[in-house]
Amino acid sequence: MNTPHPPRWAKALLRWLHPDNTIEEVEGDLDELYAYAYLHAGKTQALLRYLLNVASVLPPFVRRRRTYSKYEPSFSLSPDMLKNYFKIAWRNIVRQKAYAALNIAGLSIGMACSILILLWVQNELSYDRFHSKADQIFRLTCSAGDFRAAVSAAGMAPNLQAALPQIKSGVRISKRIPMIFEAGEKKLEEKRVIYADSNFLTFFSFPLLAGNKATALHDPGTILITEEMAVKYFGTSNAVGKTIRIDNKENFTVDGVLANTPPNSHLQFDCLIPMKTLARTSTDLQNNTWNNFIFFTYLELDAQTAASAPARQNLIRQIFSIFKAHGQVIKLNFELQALTDIHLHSNYQLDVAGHGNIQYVNIFFVIAIFILVVACINFMNLATARSERRAKEVGLRKVVGANRYQLIFQFLGESLIFSFLSLVIAIGIVFAMLPIFKMLTEKSLSIHLLDGKLLLSLIGIAVLTGLLSGSYPALFLSGFAPVKVLKGKLRVAGGNLIFRNALVVTQFVVAIVLLVGTAVVYKQLDFIKKRNLGFDKSNMLYLPMNGDLWGKQQALKLSLEQNPLTANFTIISYLPTAVESGSVDVVWDGQTIANQVVFPSLDVDENFIGVFKTKVLAGRGFDKSFAGDSSSYMINEKAMQIMGMNIGNAVGKSLSLGGMKGTIIGVIKDFHFKSLQYAMEPLILRKNTWGGVVMVRTTAGRNEQTIKALEKINQELNPSFPFRFGFLDKDLDNLYRSEQQMGNIFNLFAGLAIFISCLGLYGLSAFMAEQRTKEIGVRKVLGATVAGVVGLLSQDFLKLILVAIVIASPIAWYAMNKWLQGFAYQTTLEWWVIALAAIAATGIALFTISFQSIKAALMNPVTSLRSE
Amino acid sequence: MRRTYLGEFEELVLLMIAILEGDAYGVTVCQEIEQQTGRIVTFGAVHNTLIRLEEKGFVTSGLGGATNERGGRRKRLFQLTTLGKTALTDIQELRNKLWKLIPDASLKLSGI
Repeated sequence: MNTPHPPRWAKALLRWLHPDNTIEEVEGDLDELYAYAYLHAGKTQALLRYLLNVASVLPPFVRRRRTYSKYEPSFSLSPDMLKNYFKIAWRNIVRQKAYAALNIAGLSIGMACSILILLWVQNELSYDRFHSKADQIFRLTCSAGDFRAAVSAAGMAPNLQAALPQIKSGVRISKRIPMIFEAGEKKLEEKRVIYADSNFLTFFSFPLLAGNKATALHDPGTILITEEMAVKYFGTSNAVGKTIRIDNKENFTVDGVLANTPPNSHLQFDCLIPMKTLARTSTDLQNNTWNNFIFFTYLELDAQTAASAPARQNLIRQIFSIFKAHGQVIKLNFELQALTDIHLHSNYQLDVAGHGNIQYVNIFFVIAIFILVVACINFMNLATARSERRAKEVGLRKVVGANRYQLIFQFLGESLIFSFLSLVIAIGIVFAMLPIFKMLTEKSLSIHLLDGKLLLSLIGIAVLTGLLSGSYPALFLSGFAPVKVLKGKLRVAGGNLIFRNALVVTQFVVAIVLLVGTAVVYKQLDFIKKRNLGFDKSNMLYLPMNGDLWGKQQALKLSLEQNPLTANFTIISYLPTAVESGSVDVVWDGQTIANQVVFPSLDVDENFIGVFKTKVLAGRGFDKSFAGDSSSYMINEKAMQIMGMNIGNAVGKSLSLGGMKGTIIGVIKDFHFKSLQYAMEPLILRKNTWGGVVMVRTTAGRNEQTIKALEKINQELNPSFPFRFGFLDKDLDNLYRSEQQMGNIFNLFAGLAIFISCLGLYGLSAFMAEQRTKEIGVRKVLGATVAGVVGLLSQDFLKLILVAIVIASPIAWYAMNKWLQGFAYQTTLEWWVIALAAIAATGIALFTISFQSIKAALMNPVTSLRSE
Repeated sequence: MRRTYLGEFEELVLLMIAILEGDAYGVTVCQEIEQQTGRIVTFGAVHNTLIRLEEKGFVTSGLGGATNERGGRRKRLFQLTTLGKTALTDIQELRNKLWKLIPDASLKLSGI
């Protein structure tokens, strides 16, 4: 008679969940009970009872039978065992040097990368946190429409502080102003000089090394300099009371010596001059005006307001109403930007230069983690690949009485030794690489090993890496059943293979995404560099007008014209890398509503269009033959659109800028006068009547002579000021410095991620080739070609890399699109970039594998078949 | 000596093992309980109790030889230990003693 059988799924469930050591008896018993019930109560009843019974012996209901062994195993973490784990681990490392070297190389490079990146990230995040009141200090910024600026007017700090009790104090700082310093023999231009209100030192926490904090910055005619400056000019940091002559006309007494500005401060300065000194000449400061935005205003709020966003919103509303009460009609949006946000979250115009970008911090942080993960994966991969070799060891250990925990600890110990060895090597690499990395990032990074926090986090990284990379081998290898292993050949389980393949795929996904990233960053930079700016940026030299040049403009023009090298010149108010003025006080013909758009303006002379090689679309440029041009304006296309005019009717319309009435005489083709991160803005050109920068277009290859000619002119007309010049295209490149840096760092780490992945692949392919030695031998005997064998061995990896490409492509696409959106002008993300990255990754991987597979294919089959 | 306690169901299972005398394993204990008391119990209850009784030292167990009837799976057979036997007799003696202490009237009255 056929014995009835209960449903298969219930049995499977039972086998899966019931404790292993009682499954045999329980399964038998349940089968018997089922058969019994089947005979006595019918099929349905039997099934019901069977299911009930199965449920009753599944966790959590089932009681586990304790297994007894004759001998108590020793405690897994006893000191003797610990010693043993490390001893065995060490022996394993020494015995298999190639394997160990591969592992340690991968791990240490990965760790070194992450440590470097984390140093950078930590540095970026540490900005401005050293101020004791950092969380209470906010910067007042404002925006009109899309034009967001970090500046505010002179009257705001004192008036707001007086009117609003939430504001405890306020401080104003000027922009950095270059000045000529002279002390004794030394005469140099200093670029990082700022004017600051007298409470600057109590407001911020910049330490004063010498001098009196309470009286510093109070008297006009005094100056505070940093230690570095003191040493530079006086040869000693004890410079209090000494005299510095500034701009050849006024003597300043050194009132105190400041510590050098910390590198992680967004405010970078070498000298502080009291605001009162500036107030002697500035009508803005004398009248506390509200409409000329040229200062940075920092406000200290009381703790309550600082902590609550709604309270700050309320404060902003109050600020606006005070602003309106001062007779201002323009609709401005004020913002309070936290001091600690300035470095990473600032995207304001007219801000201090050299900001970081939170996006890059996030990206690099993720990359650091990914690289570490890739290194860990490498380790796991190599360890599991070698599992067959170690299976016998595991089997034997189990037979002589090792329990699973001891084996797990043994393997974890091994990986911890690996990770700590790697950490030591990684720290060595970090020390070696730090100068290069500093150059790439242009940051003063340092690693202090005695810093407890750093040491702790390094050890943390090592332990984490060790545990993570050791976890899978430990759990997998320790799970071998001794009988199966010792009986004969252990077939590498399918699950293991899938897991290992998944690891390889993950590694290559990361590598390919980084490769695509590198390619796109470069493409974008290239795009920016090659983009037509609307003017010809090549061979443009500039000479800022300073000192005596202001008074001798006619002579300057004359001497420039006389020399054919410099004859092609124009004098404009700002460099077209940063046009710093803008106004909303613009009224034009046919305007219906009050203007809310900020119109930047640039003062140019008659030569501007010829020298810059821009195009006039309608009307004409400024011309010497028209006497009335001082009240004429030119506008760009964008401004024309905003004003609702067109090329046919714009010329001849009247326009008033800052109350100065005039007519539009021409429309100029749009050209970029700001970084390409900003979309094209409207621009108004005025006739230059004051000065600014002399721009000279040289003939290619004659830059040297032109510089000499300019120097000579400067010496003749401006003898007491040092000669300074610059190249416009270099300045333009500098605008994209942070992108350039990001590109370089990206490049470095993408390369390293691929290198680490390939180390793993190398190990894996070596293992695979070794495992299939016999097979290859047989194939060769039967007539396989070398190419055929190489193909056979590469095939598996090729498939994995293809899968990685499929997974990586959309990720890379999405991520890079996101990054490109930060630019107003972006390169297109084309499929071939990804294809190129994929091909590159495949090529590198195949190259790595080829070493081992060719070696295996070339081996004499006689040797491989004769062994064993 | 530490006293061991036997629960009601534990006592029942222990009795069944004594009754089955060498042929006690999960299935027979289940069936015996069903036949003798009419109670249908889940296998899990019996299984857990058997393990607990063994932990308490009232029974010992061993795996029987493989037979074809259960697909070659062995069964775990249970036997009383001396401790188990004394425990059962102790309980019986205690019950008898207590029964004798009941006044005749009391039981009869409550029986009505």
